[in-house]
Amino acid sequence: MSRLLALTGFLLLAQPASAESYEEHDYLLNCSGCHRMDGTGSKTVPSLLAMRELSAKPGARQYWVQVPGAAQAPLSDARLAGLMNWLVARFAGKPPEPAYTAEEVGQLRGSPLRDPVARRNEIRRAASR
Amino acid sequence: MSRLDRWFEGMTRQTARRVSRRNWLSRFGGVLVGGAALPLLPVARAAEKHTLGEDGVKGREGDPTRCEYWRHCAIDGFLCSCCGGSHTACPPGTAMSPVTWIGTCRNPADGKDYIISYNDCCGKTFCGRCMCNRNEGERPLYHWYRNNDINWCGGAATQTYSCSTAVVVKVAKEAQPEK
Repeated sequence: MSRLLALTGFLLLAQPASAESYEEHDYLLNCSGCHRMDGTGSKTVPSLLAMRELSAKPGARQYWVQVPGAAQAPLSDARLAGLMNWLVARFAGKPPEPAYTAEEVGQLRGSPLRDPVARRNEIRRAASR
Repeated sequence: MSRLDRWFEGMTRQTARRVSRRNWLSRFGGVLVGGAALPLLPVARAAEKHTLGEDGVKGREGDPTRCEYWRHCAIDGFLCSCCGGSHTACPPGTAMSPVTWIGTCRNPADGKDYIISYNDCCGKTFCGRCMCNRNEGERPLYHWYRNNDINWCGGAATQTYSCSTAVVVKVAKEAQPEK
């Protein structure tokens, strides 16, 4: 009996893990295909771990939502705001202060970047706050 | 050696004495024809539907070598399980691309939606077997976010596409909203 219980327990544990939150679900479905599960990106896709070096710079908060991958994601403003709060906390080291709201995200999506890479270099060169 | 020869000779002679050739031929023929006809019976076809396949799913939806396999719902490419690999591993000589098309499929066995990663295998010329183009949840190119007509081998060491896998990432919170 105890062996059967142990086997049942093992089989339960062997089930694929469930996405813990809607934020993680949205990340897996909308970001991880290119940025990969751990955010490291590839030859052609920027690493999300590099968000850390922008985190103290002015303009970074807005830039992160305006990049094509975030701004054009097929998510509502509220879901994108939730995803960005989760993503910034995970990859930039600390959660955004204050947290993104659906209104702010909606506004930022409305003004897309013409040249995301140029904008990133501009922010990187600026003095830290 | 001669002892083995003698033993075999004895055996064959004994069999020849006991069994008539026509009797043997008719029985053997019966087995051949009957065996070939068995899958045509409705009983066999009904049984196919109930054999447990991969992931506890019955029938064709549980067979990773078929396009109907439940994980293949958003796939566009050759199935690696027909190309010397499996639905989770690349065939020898190819490498899995790190960037990938991702979607959700419903597992008919438990009714849950799963996040599936269709990692392409790259490095050899295209496999050409088991083309499967279901593309559920895919959108035209102007919705670039939900279009999979991209060479996902772009992130791999070599850009030659060979075939596609279907790896379960996690249980999804909901089905892909575009479906």
